[in-house]
Amino acid sequence: MTIRSPDSATTPRPPWLRILARRDVLAGLMFMAVAAVGLWASRDYPIGTAVRMGTGYVPRLMCWILLALGASVALMGLRESDEEGEEPPLRWRPLVLVPASQAIFALTINDFGFVVAGLLMIAIGGLANRESRPLEVVASAAVLVFSVWAIFVWGLGLVIPVWPGG
Amino acid sequence: MDLLNNLALGFSVALTPANLGFALLGCLVGSLVGVLPGIGPVPTVAILLPLTFYLDPISGLIMLAGIFYGAQYGGSTTSILVNMPGETSSVVTCIDGHQMARQGRAGPALAIAALGSLFAGTVSTAIIAWAAPPLAKVGLSFGAPEYFSLLVLGLIAAVVLAHGSVIKAVAMIILGLVLGMVGTDGNTGGTRFTFGLTMLVDGIGFVPLAIGVFGLGEVIANLLSPERSRIVITQRFRDLWPSREEFRQSWPAVLRGTALGSILGVLPGGGATLSAFAAYALEKKVAKDPSRFGKGAIEGVAAPESANNAGAQTSFIPMLTLGIPGNAVMALMIGALTIHGIQPGPQVMTERPTLFWGLIASMWIGNLMLVIINLPLIGIWVQLLRVPYRLLYLGILMFCAIGVYTTNNNPAEVLMTAVFGVMGYIFIRLRCEPAPMLLGFVLGPLMEENLRRAMRISSGDPMIFLERPISLALLLASVALLIVVALPAIRSKREEAFQEG
Repeated sequence: MTIRSPDSATTPRPPWLRILARRDVLAGLMFMAVAAVGLWASRDYPIGTAVRMGTGYVPRLMCWILLALGASVALMGLRESDEEGEEPPLRWRPLVLVPASQAIFALTINDFGFVVAGLLMIAIGGLANRESRPLEVVASAAVLVFSVWAIFVWGLGLVIPVWPGG
Repeated sequence: MDLLNNLALGFSVALTPANLGFALLGCLVGSLVGVLPGIGPVPTVAILLPLTFYLDPISGLIMLAGIFYGAQYGGSTTSILVNMPGETSSVVTCIDGHQMARQGRAGPALAIAALGSLFAGTVSTAIIAWAAPPLAKVGLSFGAPEYFSLLVLGLIAAVVLAHGSVIKAVAMIILGLVLGMVGTDGNTGGTRFTFGLTMLVDGIGFVPLAIGVFGLGEVIANLLSPERSRIVITQRFRDLWPSREEFRQSWPAVLRGTALGSILGVLPGGGATLSAFAAYALEKKVAKDPSRFGKGAIEGVAAPESANNAGAQTSFIPMLTLGIPGNAVMALMIGALTIHGIQPGPQVMTERPTLFWGLIASMWIGNLMLVIINLPLIGIWVQLLRVPYRLLYLGILMFCAIGVYTTNNNPAEVLMTAVFGVMGYIFIRLRCEPAPMLLGFVLGPLMEENLRRAMRISSGDPMIFLERPISLALLLASVALLIVVALPAIRSKREEAFQEG
């Protein structure tokens, strides 16, 4: 995925921020953050001994290793840049609306059935793409809801809520 | 003859109408996602995984396997006709395949790709049938320390042979191991990393993780990058059949590609993509006139296409015999087995011979089906190329949600999937390969279990891993791999191998 975006040359960022925004630096920080959270969460887990390992033995070991690896990834990123090509600019629609579409499905399926949940999901999912065309989204929603019913309910005979209250 | 008996058993399972139907379905879906850019075999297998829970384990596996090797076929079609690989394993096929198409020889290119794949599929199916039983026997003789070391070697090799930064991939494995620990610890009964959330007490589900990271993550990435226009070569396929001269040029390439792919596929982290790249590089090396490559050399299609299919098939060997997945699709297959209550490992072959041999027999049948699906019906697949992503992704979203939900009828898992989707996009953006994480996630519990057992055997002395000769050899091999890949000369060669073309 090395697609250059046409509007990448926007506001110049200060050098320290550019270094910090390097892929490897961010990846290293991400690993370190996960490790730190893990170490914090497991601070009270019984460690035990090598013969009788407690709940915390292996997890804490892994978190320490992850912390070290994350630090070296970040250091490597600080030393040299591996950037080839610009990343596409972050737009909020796909980033927020794709997970939101799944979330709305999760929140509505049990109470309103999958027809409502599915239509809501496709509606929000359709908004995630700037290039979506309203008519196409409506048509796809109908086709998809019907095919899911055909495959899962009619074909496989699963018991899932279809209509509100049912 | 044991082998013949076993194969007969396999065919008796694979040739039942239901299983033939699932093989065909898998091959069709595989060809479809191979053709469609923007969705590959890994997300597809992940998304369709829940569907298989309602099938017989063998039918489910047959279908998932069909998707995997069907995608190798479909991927070549787009490479040749549109110069856009449907799959990473078909990237090199673009180089010469598309040149052939522009010279009006798309038909022969497609035919050689399909026939080479069929040949490779046949040979590699035979290799699996021949090599799997002895390997499983070795696996059965392993104790906890040996098994632990084997898992270490498998994970390290997967990292070394995959592309991208080695150290990031190791970190991703550890991340997968940590995610695998969330929930209740089977040995001590304590809970780990649940942060007080009840939905995490049972651990992170395999399905939400796989579908979130591979399915949703890729949707986000695709929606963020502008859609590329596709120019389809719309010529009639008058001469589908290659000329005598083209046959003469391609068959040695097919043989070499098959051999190379079969070997590389067995290695963890190998599989289809590495095989295809390596086969193309080899053809360029042995060619009398290397300058023909890049200008429509048929060997440049024949070798990688045979190799990727052979590699895709033989990558089943470590999964089926040792329970060690070498790539993301195999990790998903392991997940499917586990959810069916089948503990993957060397005992699968002896305890469930119908499953094992049925799957192998179905692979050969599937390869035959694919040639029939792909060659005469090529026009239909070309039409499908016109399906725009703005329609495709809506379907993906729908199947992600419903698939996760129907696994346990638990909406909380769909919420988790949404979170993993964002995580998956972060991985793509930061160039952190998600496949090693999935391997770590799948193998983590197995590793911890064997580590604990080994420690109990040795009363807590870690030297046990070095005192047992097989375990020592496996660990030394892991260290050697890591050292080798750290050497600057080899590192640049490795990067070169993945940047061919």
